[in-house]
Amino acid sequence: MQPSALEWMHAPERGSVLLARFMVWLVHNVGWWPGHLLLFPIAGYFLAFSPRQRRVARAYLGRALGRRAGLRDLFRLYFAFASTILDRAFLMAGRTGQYRIEVQGLDALKARIAEGRGCLLLGAHFGSFEALRAVADAGSPVEVAVMMHEANAARLKAVFGLMGASRRQPQVIPLGTTESMLQAREVLERGGLVGLLADRAPRGERMLPLPFLGAEAPLPTGPHLLALVLGAPVMLAFGIWRGPRHYEVRFEPFADPPPPGRAGREAAVADRVRRYAARLEALCRRHPYNWFNFYDFWAERGR
Amino acid sequence: MSAGPMTPTTELPATRLLPEELEVARLIVSALSLEVAPEEIEPEAPLFNEGLGLDSIDALEMALAISKAYNVKLRSDDERNHRIFASLRSLTAHIEKNRAR
Repeated sequence: MQPSALEWMHAPERGSVLLARFMVWLVHNVGWWPGHLLLFPIAGYFLAFSPRQRRVARAYLGRALGRRAGLRDLFRLYFAFASTILDRAFLMAGRTGQYRIEVQGLDALKARIAEGRGCLLLGAHFGSFEALRAVADAGSPVEVAVMMHEANAARLKAVFGLMGASRRQPQVIPLGTTESMLQAREVLERGGLVGLLADRAPRGERMLPLPFLGAEAPLPTGPHLLALVLGAPVMLAFGIWRGPRHYEVRFEPFADPPPPGRAGREAAVADRVRRYAARLEALCRRHPYNWFNFYDFWAERGR
Repeated sequence: MSAGPMTPTTELPATRLLPEELEVARLIVSALSLEVAPEEIEPEAPLFNEGLGLDSIDALEMALAISKAYNVKLRSDDERNHRIFASLRSLTAHIEKNRAR
């Protein structure tokens, strides 16, 4: 297994389970404002005590900002990340009243849903997945399922367990098994939405090295191949953190259902990964503090 | 259920393909554009990982090809999936048992 793959599985979000527990406690006992104020020491703490993540975050920020990233930039990134974790607890609890969530592209998504063939939503570890899900779930007349790595699915389930049984749990499809792929097909066949994050691969396979923010980075081809095999339309989806309790949720058209058959598939996959990378790159430049891949994304170590 | 369609296999050498197994092997090879001759697939070797080296997206594509060719739908909630997808032999047995003729 590649070291980078191991790295994100074992050290994805430092102390994030503990943090998530704490956030859930805040939701129930304290409220958003005190939680928000606590984010300052929390972000400072993680910034101070995660030298490895700090190094890769600084490298990313330098690329996205086009200049050397300072401590202030790092703090903004860490603060945004901690904010999304705090907000996740509130959004999962359905306490969205105080939130400003602007939605772009919902009509395009609704048009896709109306076609009845389902739609694959490709996101990234960028901004808040929970803000995205809150919109997709609340606004969708069809079922919404999320494909994720089993460890993350277990973590999400644990947090939902902490929230009590009041909230509807998202339908989670664990990645990587035969069943999971069949399950995704069945959701699409029922006209549902299947979301998955397409910027990381759980294993080192099916990656394509592409120019991304100025250097070559390995990007997974699996999600795009899956879309082509399933013959599903694809939209991109992002929940961008714009500031305290302020999100911009974007649904963007990406690809129509492909013609049946394998002809030209390899080229189609490569083209899609390239377009996905280009779009993600543009978002990183525009909203640099939303990037939450705290690992060696460019696989630069040992080069 | 396992005794029925599986019985003939025990009387054959493990490497010989039954005609219906060869047919399924051909389907898999062409559906996945595998660089292996259908005749060379070991009927009882695992299809995934260490065997033919297929992954979960390959499995999906294989399932789609099978449902198209044989009108046998492979479903995610079938608890026998692990056994069905274990080898070419088990997969063929499942198809033979469930196919619409």
